[in-house]
Amino acid sequence: MEPIVVVTTFFAASIRMAIPLALAGLGESISEKSGLLNIGVEAIMLCGAFFSFMVVFSTGSFFLGILAGMLGGLSMSMLHALLSIRFKANQTIVGLAQNFLALGLTSFLFLMSFGQTTTLPSTKVLGDLPIPLLSSIPFIGQVLFSQNLFVYLTLGCMVLAHICFYKTDFGVALHAVGEHPIAADTAGLQVHTIRYIAALFNGILGGLGGAYLTTVKLGFFQENITAGKGYIALVAVILGKRTPFGILGAALVIGGAEALQIRLQTAGTGIPSQLFAMFPYLMTIAALLLTIGSAHDPAALGIPYDRDKR
Amino acid sequence: MKRRDDEWVSLLIVIGATLLVAFGLIALVGSNLMVAVSSFLRGIFGSSYAMSEVLVRATPLMLAALGVSIGFKTGFTNLGAEGQLYMGAIAITATALVFPGLPPIVMIPLVILVGFAAGGAWALVPGFLKARFSISEVIMTIMLNYVAINLVGILVRTGLKDPAYPYPMSPILPESANFMQLLPPTRIHAGLVMALLMVIAVHLLVFRSRLGFEMRAVGLNGRACHCSGIQVNRATILSAIAGGGLAGLAGVSEIAGLHHRLIEGISPGFGYVAIIVALLGKNHPFGIVFASIGIAALQIGSMAMQRTAGVPTSIASIVMGALILFLVIRDSRQSIAILEGV
Amino acid sequence: MPVLEMKDICKSFFGTYANRDVCLEVREGEIHALLGENGAGKTTLMNILYGMYQKDAGSITIDGHEIVFKSPKDAIARQIGMVHQHFTLVPTLTVQQNITLGLRDSGYPFSRERARCEHIDRLSDSYGLKTHSRALVKNLSVGEMQRVEILKLLYRKAKILILDEPTAVLTPQESDHLFAMFKQLKAEGCSIIVITHHIQEVLDHCDRVTVLRDGCSISTVETKGIDAKQLSTMMIGRELVPVARERQNHHMDAPVLELVDFGFKRNGGKVGSVNLSLRQSEILGIAGVDGNGQKELLETLMGLRDHEKGKMVCCQQDISNASTAERRLVGIGYISDDRHRDSLVLDMGIAENLMLRPARSTAATQGHMVNKQCMLEQATRIVKEFSIKSHGLQEPMRFLSGGNQQKLVLAREFIGSPKIIIAFQPTRGLDIGATEFVHNQLLAMRSAGCATLLVSTNLEEILLLSDRIAVIHEGSIMDTIENKAVDITRIGLLMAGVRTEGAAR
Repeated sequence: MEPIVVVTTFFAASIRMAIPLALAGLGESISEKSGLLNIGVEAIMLCGAFFSFMVVFSTGSFFLGILAGMLGGLSMSMLHALLSIRFKANQTIVGLAQNFLALGLTSFLFLMSFGQTTTLPSTKVLGDLPIPLLSSIPFIGQVLFSQNLFVYLTLGCMVLAHICFYKTDFGVALHAVGEHPIAADTAGLQVHTIRYIAALFNGILGGLGGAYLTTVKLGFFQENITAGKGYIALVAVILGKRTPFGILGAALVIGGAEALQIRLQTAGTGIPSQLFAMFPYLMTIAALLLTIGSAHDPAALGIPYDRDKR
Repeated sequence: MKRRDDEWVSLLIVIGATLLVAFGLIALVGSNLMVAVSSFLRGIFGSSYAMSEVLVRATPLMLAALGVSIGFKTGFTNLGAEGQLYMGAIAITATALVFPGLPPIVMIPLVILVGFAAGGAWALVPGFLKARFSISEVIMTIMLNYVAINLVGILVRTGLKDPAYPYPMSPILPESANFMQLLPPTRIHAGLVMALLMVIAVHLLVFRSRLGFEMRAVGLNGRACHCSGIQVNRATILSAIAGGGLAGLAGVSEIAGLHHRLIEGISPGFGYVAIIVALLGKNHPFGIVFASIGIAALQIGSMAMQRTAGVPTSIASIVMGALILFLVIRDSRQSIAILEGV
Repeated sequence: MPVLEMKDICKSFFGTYANRDVCLEVREGEIHALLGENGAGKTTLMNILYGMYQKDAGSITIDGHEIVFKSPKDAIARQIGMVHQHFTLVPTLTVQQNITLGLRDSGYPFSRERARCEHIDRLSDSYGLKTHSRALVKNLSVGEMQRVEILKLLYRKAKILILDEPTAVLTPQESDHLFAMFKQLKAEGCSIIVITHHIQEVLDHCDRVTVLRDGCSISTVETKGIDAKQLSTMMIGRELVPVARERQNHHMDAPVLELVDFGFKRNGGKVGSVNLSLRQSEILGIAGVDGNGQKELLETLMGLRDHEKGKMVCCQQDISNASTAERRLVGIGYISDDRHRDSLVLDMGIAENLMLRPARSTAATQGHMVNKQCMLEQATRIVKEFSIKSHGLQEPMRFLSGGNQQKLVLAREFIGSPKIIIAFQPTRGLDIGATEFVHNQLLAMRSAGCATLLVSTNLEEILLLSDRIAVIHEGSIMDTIENKAVDITRIGLLMAGVRTEGAAR
């Protein structure tokens, strides 16, 4: 293979690896900006992946499948929001319990529907959608504009989120609610409503990230299909400092590591593949170390808001 | 008196709600409820062997959950017991294979010590980073789980591989490194005794020692401890090490008591389930004894239920998740206020 | 007709009444004072009016219409504005963003920053409230934050303005300016409710006053034709006995604590530097407006922050770089202004909170273990000595009253007779009884030879207790004067950073 082709396919693969992380990371960053710390991204993505697969499998419609994925993610994020806001629960514990719940539920329902089979039931995957003209630009056209719908969707979401965070009143409100809910409340903002809205976005985007795995990348579902991607999305949020393009960048770096390790695993070097499988995790750890001293969490992150308790 | 009654009533409601979820799921797969429940109960109480299996499974859960609970005391949210357990397992395997000639009287304490140290070291990294640089231990410990699991995968294919077999596993460890079987033919081993001793040790540490007092205080208000001249970082790091060490002992106990060699997947998520156990046991050592036996019974019973009634074992995960969520709702002050308002 | 009428308002928290049948009536174009000591229920009442709390009973009428506010949003819509004592500004947002937070203008949902800034600048010019609309709030001085809070109300066209202890963060001169501005607002038809516990302020600037005591409204009177003594009796319910502070001569003593060009980091990247010496058996008061580096200075003295330069010498021992534990073992005790955050573990009991000291200085620690017997005996003794009211030694601190919590902090810091006590606003949020108790304890420690550094933004407290008074401004000491026939105007000017005659000394 020519070097340029290798580089092009590698970059294109990195982007595809980055999509679920970027989508879920963006959703989580909206949630965290409002002060809701949801470590149950894994649960959101898992439900997104499962429900979109089930609907695509039974109806053949990608549109309905993706919608189902979003609803699946939404069910988890809203449950988390309800327990965190209404019941003022420990958000980390709720997220953790939800990961258990979603892992069990998706595999239970999957086994219930298909039984123990040797061949995994599978569906078609969403094909690539090259953009006319732009896709014929050398290199960039190959990397960026010959991708599937989700890639364009993700880029669109990032731009919209950027505008929302930094140019609109909602962005300021989100920031205020996460930094100083009492100030937000006395200024006339509805703290809880804004947090529910943030959770809504988290569920939709995380559900999309999960749906991507089954409807675009794999075309099948299996137990624990996310395999820790939800946790890695949390890393992307920290590395990206909760800015849309920062998260996209972090997701691309981690996605690149993932693409690289798959390439190395299949290269047949005789080295145990686990060494390469470890690589993305080691890299996220290294990247987390780089945030030392520069990380700034929203001041009210993970703390329930209670007017009566000052 | 009334408050105590309310507590029992609400606990019964939680148990009832959880059972309702479980029954709903059983009905969903179309199994006969009576068959499912009786196979579940027979899976646990059906024979003395079945009951012994519950204790065998409770052993690593108890150790790892004790570790998780110590971390929780200082606010160190240790989700990395799984990785720490594997590090303990690697440590005992390596030690026993490097010094095969040691007599049991030396070997057993040595592997326990090394396993504790390995698990502790694995938790020291996130503990130090949290204390010194406030890097989120939640994510760090989970990332380290994946690293440790892959490390086992590498070692059983390279350095610790049994050259006699083509499979990824280590040679059988020398007998001097084996924990005693307590009640043959059951698989209950001395690891259970170690776990129970650790329960007492943790109780003394947390509720009787100065360090334990500092740990608890740090977890409740680190800032006030700092202002009072208590070394907050020291307490946090020590709790991380002790917690990781106990999870490491779970790995030692699994290898020395059951598998006698290192293989991939010795832990079907013990480290994660341990978090649930710690939460159910209210982070109290004695609570953890009961919670670990209860969760082990749930898992053993659900396996029997899958064999006989065709209900997938994933039901155990769902029940654990749901149980925690219901308890969280129960414990929230909000719901207490609602109850009082009625 | 009054613009605002609150009738028979009741509110209780966890079974204790904060307000009981409180009545308040405010007229259009008046400055109305809400007078009462800490814990009398003034702030609760105003939070109910502002929609932060929901009343248990009673009615609120505005312009003749009965209203129910579910949240501040509703109150803002009815042109009510409130400035809380702890400012409610988001530090990481700009002045403009804070002022317009939650409002919808014609550009919604996009932020029209330029138009908003221009509007803010116009308002700030016409009311003399100087600010920088594009600056981040975290970089502002406390005085400017207050101006931003007031601009926030004016931007929202508030007709009823509530201010909770507005003069606590101001020098006496600045307070006069503030009230001058209130008169301007009053002339425009606004009504202003000022929460305060300073009687003189009420007499000097307000038209009418409603006095609250123990959650009940005592009465509402015109300020003309009433004097300080009458108001004081209404507020406290008895005659106030001033604490007795006998003078001591201590000029000969060697200093126990010396700060030489002691530099410390302040919030917002600024640096402060002080020279001070503290002698045995004296109380050195540091007066100053809140936010002039007091908290940072004390936290640096306790080793909670790294110091910048210079030396801190305690009994001939240089402890500039010592840890908090080492400083405490040398004999320094610390009373913070925020006992919930800095001093107590609210979910632990009395006995365990008394153990919150370096391990070596706790009697109940034997080797690595805790001697429970010893711990409980000590706690029993202290509860008796300081008459702390509780339902047992294991009862979580959370359920004790503020006064009893502070008594416990004092008791713990006094264990082992410290050489130096560093006290920051030790009576903050306490009622008169508890305040008197704290004052008497501090004086008793002084008699026992302890040197006390008392930092307070409450000038009355400083004047009452101190042997000498130092004034802090922008992180440095303006001057130190003997507490004998002091000129309040001069202290006020020093607090504002103006040095007058005698500064050269």
